[in-house]
Amino acid sequence: MTDVPQWLAQPENYSPPTDSDRFIDKSILSFIGLISKIKQQSGRSRDLLWVSPGFKLLFTLLYVVLMSSSRHFTFVYLMLAYIVAVLAMLPAGDIRKSLKGAVIAAVFTYVILLPAALHGSRYSVTMIPAKVFACVLSVNILSCSTRWDHIISSLKRFFFPDLFIFVFDITIKYIVMLGEFALQMLYALKLRSVGKNRSKYGSIGGVGGMLFIKSRDMSEEMYYAMECRGFTGEYRAVGKFHFTVYDGAYILLNAGFVWLFVYFQNLV
Amino acid sequence: MHIPDNYLSPSTCAVMAAAMVPAWTVSAKKVKKEISRAKMPQLGIYAALSFLLMMFNVPLIGGTTGHAVGGTLIAILMGPWAACISVSVALLVQALLFGDGGILAFGANCFNMAFVLPFVGYYIYKFVKERFNSKGGETAAIILGSYFGLVVASLCAAVEFGVQPLLFTDAAGQALYCPYGLAVSIPAMVIPHLAVAGPVEVLFTLLIVTYVKKVSPEMIGPAPAKKTGAIWGLILGLICLTPLGLLATGTAWGEWSREEISGLAGYTPQGMSDGLDYSALLPDYSVSGLPEVAGYVVSAVLGVAILVIIFKLLGDRRNGSAAQAK
Repeated sequence: MTDVPQWLAQPENYSPPTDSDRFIDKSILSFIGLISKIKQQSGRSRDLLWVSPGFKLLFTLLYVVLMSSSRHFTFVYLMLAYIVAVLAMLPAGDIRKSLKGAVIAAVFTYVILLPAALHGSRYSVTMIPAKVFACVLSVNILSCSTRWDHIISSLKRFFFPDLFIFVFDITIKYIVMLGEFALQMLYALKLRSVGKNRSKYGSIGGVGGMLFIKSRDMSEEMYYAMECRGFTGEYRAVGKFHFTVYDGAYILLNAGFVWLFVYFQNLV
Repeated sequence: MHIPDNYLSPSTCAVMAAAMVPAWTVSAKKVKKEISRAKMPQLGIYAALSFLLMMFNVPLIGGTTGHAVGGTLIAILMGPWAACISVSVALLVQALLFGDGGILAFGANCFNMAFVLPFVGYYIYKFVKERFNSKGGETAAIILGSYFGLVVASLCAAVEFGVQPLLFTDAAGQALYCPYGLAVSIPAMVIPHLAVAGPVEVLFTLLIVTYVKKVSPEMIGPAPAKKTGAIWGLILGLICLTPLGLLATGTAWGEWSREEISGLAGYTPQGMSDGLDYSALLPDYSVSGLPEVAGYVVSAVLGVAILVIIFKLLGDRRNGSAAQAK
């Protein structure tokens, strides 16, 4: 039997002072939320709502522009009815997520505009929250119904430079990878946080600094790997473009909305 | 048959709402037990069907209009408790968004159309079906159930109207709320429903039950239906046909505005001139700036979408809380 060292046999009464490391927990939770949101995208094999992603993106931006510039409430009503009808076609979980963001944005806008209402401007208090609600809802519908990498690859159709598409793609992939790396560092920090930490900002700054160094290393490694596989400096994005009858019908529908917008603008 | 605000005294409204609270509670419990969460969106489809049926106004004798409700239809396809919930939610959307039916009178409207109508209709249907166990027997059951469901509901509404001048008058003897007593309200409401609105309800119920049985029979019964495309086709068709409901001009009995009632009764009851004034977002299913037909169709689309969303969310929320309960 080996001798127990003397320092080990001494009784120790160390009760570490309590400290709140909620900042670590909150950082961990926000990273996990972010990574899971991105990883959920690959769980979806098929996009919803039948129209190709490029047109969805283009016309969602069109809706935002048209609704923001419309000065006739009837047009906003019509667009709102249309967007709510599209929302009804999504599954329940997507409906809840889309509505949550839109309702919060609209309520926030309404609260901010209340002083204007008290001064007698009823018009903006009804119009602007309705517009905000409809715009945020349509963007959320786009996000819920289409995989993000499909949206990015559809940018090719709009003559985006291939480099942009490459950077978008890599950004999302590396958010996940660097996020997981940051998570591991945060877990390590949490495990080693015994007693009072006087330099909380320093700890988080350390995590951030390590993340930066790691991202530089990762980007260098990725570049060397691409060189080994024959990369010569030109990135060509490949997109599969099929024009279906749904796309055609969607384009006609949106042409109708543009016509309605012009019609109501001329009425005001 | 939608009772507007200020036609019933606040105490009547409170009594009717109190009567509905146990009905809603029991319906919610039964629906949670008997209808799986995957089937909840289907309740939304039925609520949307009922909403659309209520938009088809038919002209009634006496210059007023009425409409079918579809409560017995839902009761036959999904049970009376599900019908109570579906029609109540449809009535809620109509009252809040379109101003069809009063806010204070919501309890009374639900009592008539979401409680009395489906239950009377369903139990008559069951009684007749079990007596005459044949195809003809089932058709007769549907006809009798939907007809008497609607008529008894209209009788209840007539009684609620007619009791007002008996109980609530001011010092001069003039009625505070609805000015027509039982001797007027009962014949005025029940006879047109017996003669015209009842057969319309029977027609719609019969047609839709036959259609559902033929194209999508798995919608009846507890298992969630996979292919609901045919039902959506029906809903889309009904939405396109809703402008037909605008052809029947004339206000329904008991749904007059203040000006109309002062012309009819000779005075405006005090409860109406001083009563609740709720301005809905799309009053009378019209959108300001659009022609009436377009506004009607847009209102139909919006109403159907909102009902579908509500029931999808209800089906999903139970999913979440069921998972948490485990």
